[in-house]
Amino acid sequence: MANKHSILKNSAYILCFIFLLNSCTSTPKEAVHKLYNVEIKGMQFQPAELTLQKGDTVIWTNHDIVTHDVTEEKSKEWTSGPLAPGQSWSLVVTKSADYYCSIHVVMKGKLIVQ
Amino acid sequence: MPAIGQTNTKLTDPEIASVAVTANQIDIEYAQIAKKKSKNADVLKFAETMAKDHQAVIDQAVALVTKLGVTPKDNATTKAFLAGAVKTKAMLNSKKGGAFDKAYIDNEVAYHKAAINEVENVLIPDATNSEVKSLLQSAVPLFKTHLAHAEMVQKEFNK
Repeated sequence: MANKHSILKNSAYILCFIFLLNSCTSTPKEAVHKLYNVEIKGMQFQPAELTLQKGDTVIWTNHDIVTHDVTEEKSKEWTSGPLAPGQSWSLVVTKSADYYCSIHVVMKGKLIVQ
Repeated sequence: MPAIGQTNTKLTDPEIASVAVTANQIDIEYAQIAKKKSKNADVLKFAETMAKDHQAVIDQAVALVTKLGVTPKDNATTKAFLAGAVKTKAMLNSKKGGAFDKAYIDNEVAYHKAAINEVENVLIPDATNSEVKSLLQSAVPLFKTHLAHAEMVQKEFNK
């Protein structure tokens, strides 16, 4: 009987140890960020308007036969630089922005952070 | 502007290739004149885009005809484009300053309208090879974007 108590006691210690170890090593829970794709195709950003959360990532891919870029419109806060056909560029979005292609200035897009 | 699409004869794919390359080359030449003569930032930026984009279309067209084994063939439409270009280049070279900028942009608006009309109503319907047709179709939104950009710059001169 004493032996049985000892086994149960040791098992409880081990479980506590595993629980404590797990608590110490696991990272704090983070918000799940999403990934969005914008296709640059037919001289348009598709979709032209994206509603997303702060911290989400957007990947733009140029499917056209000419070079484009993706540039924040108001103050040029960020830009992809030239994106040759087939190239991609990503941005972790922190705030809403109107953007455009500074090479083909009539091509416009919008990011709306909720 | 060149008097294009004057004949009712259907263009063959080699003739379409010739028209496509010639029309793009002409706009590159207009852009080269602008880059030499203009000091206007918007005009220079537009001209730079025209030179690069139309070269990209030519590169695609050349790659395709090479792959298909097609040799571009001179024809009445090509000749009409070239004849119009001679006159337009002479007109552009005779102007300077703001008058040049306005003439260049006005011509770009008219030239792209004519080119879009030619591609949509002649070249695409006449093309028989699906890849040639597809390349022409992909050029239409590019030329329409150029037209919108040219019209935007043109508004600045008409204020």
